[in-house]
Amino acid sequence: MCPVYQSQACNNAGQPGGVNNVSRPVKPAPLPVPPPALKLGQEGFKKVCRTEEDSPCPFPGLASGVLEMRVKEGSKIRNLMGFAMARMQGEKGVSGVNVSGGGLRQVVFTGSGRAVTKTITCAEIMKRKVGCLHQLTKLRYKVVKEVWESTEGGTSEMTVHRTVPSISILLSKDPLDPQEPGYQPPETLSALWEEREGTEPATASKRSLGPLPYTSFPDCKRVCLGEGVSVLPPH
Amino acid sequence: MTEPRNPSMSSIPQTGPAHTDSSSPAVEMDPVEYTLRKRLPRKLPKRRNDVYVNMKTDFRAQLARCQKLLEGGGHREICVHGLGLAINRAINIALQLQASSQGALQLAANTSTVELVDDLEPEDPDEAGEPMTRTRNNSAIHIKVFYPDPQ
Repeated sequence: MCPVYQSQACNNAGQPGGVNNVSRPVKPAPLPVPPPALKLGQEGFKKVCRTEEDSPCPFPGLASGVLEMRVKEGSKIRNLMGFAMARMQGEKGVSGVNVSGGGLRQVVFTGSGRAVTKTITCAEIMKRKVGCLHQLTKLRYKVVKEVWESTEGGTSEMTVHRTVPSISILLSKDPLDPQEPGYQPPETLSALWEEREGTEPATASKRSLGPLPYTSFPDCKRVCLGEGVSVLPPH
Repeated sequence: MTEPRNPSMSSIPQTGPAHTDSSSPAVEMDPVEYTLRKRLPRKLPKRRNDVYVNMKTDFRAQLARCQKLLEGGGHREICVHGLGLAINRAINIALQLQASSQGALQLAANTSTVELVDDLEPEDPDEAGEPMTRTRNNSAIHIKVFYPDPQ
């Protein structure tokens, strides 16, 4: 998988005894990460802009002002989580007011392309820390528009439309519709597998709950309207 | 899966013959070099309609395998699993299946955390290093790709 590491290990093994060798700190050289399926960079083009095309919210019926965490490739998990956890747990000490007693009810994590894994990790960390969160996961393709500019002449410009997989994860303190595809009840971390090994009675019992009439939503809307803004966290 | 590499703790520029470190309790760090070995993830259920996506097999081969299960295999639903870096590929496969079905297929994704174990083996058996294990977490995705029941 990582030929760089392997070759380094060989060098180490070749050194005599390992005693008194000039122990150059064996830091792997920064791995060149070639952008997958993109050769433009080598042909004298550089990317000048990348915009995600607006797509409708994957969670219809969601309060419009809900906190949306847009996870990017370079986002630091500690920054994202520091911000999101503070909002979900309620910011105590900010101007002395505990906002709406216990923070926001819902948060959405979205990410596309190479940020998908990080997005899931954020949601998993939050589920573990907050507990009792209902989850709804949606997958789809997102169209990304990239503008590439020639590095030589500076005259030619190219626009590339790419479709990248993206994920949106809604975490909610209030119950969600269990019939919605991609729903996950709280604390399924370990139960996920046992439920599947048994043949379907678990889902049958879930079905019997029937469509959930979103009773708790008006309440949450009130909370979110004052609070929620779509925020781009600091990178 | 067994690429040897040096954990960051191993690159301490502490020279001198071996076996002297035990007499210097002030140095908390461990000069012994370890080989990191990643164990395989915990065994997970493997039914006929479970597909575990990896990054070694060709993408198209894995996609074709899923298509075969749904079309030729007579399964009404399959489960596509991806761990870590393979999450992206699992999502891609699921979305490709859905797109090529002209909307007949639906997706239901769940996420989870998988605990992984690494073994740290001392490079030099003469040194006083003890074999160690270390656990870490990685994210995983489980996508159910299914034909919805007619209602």
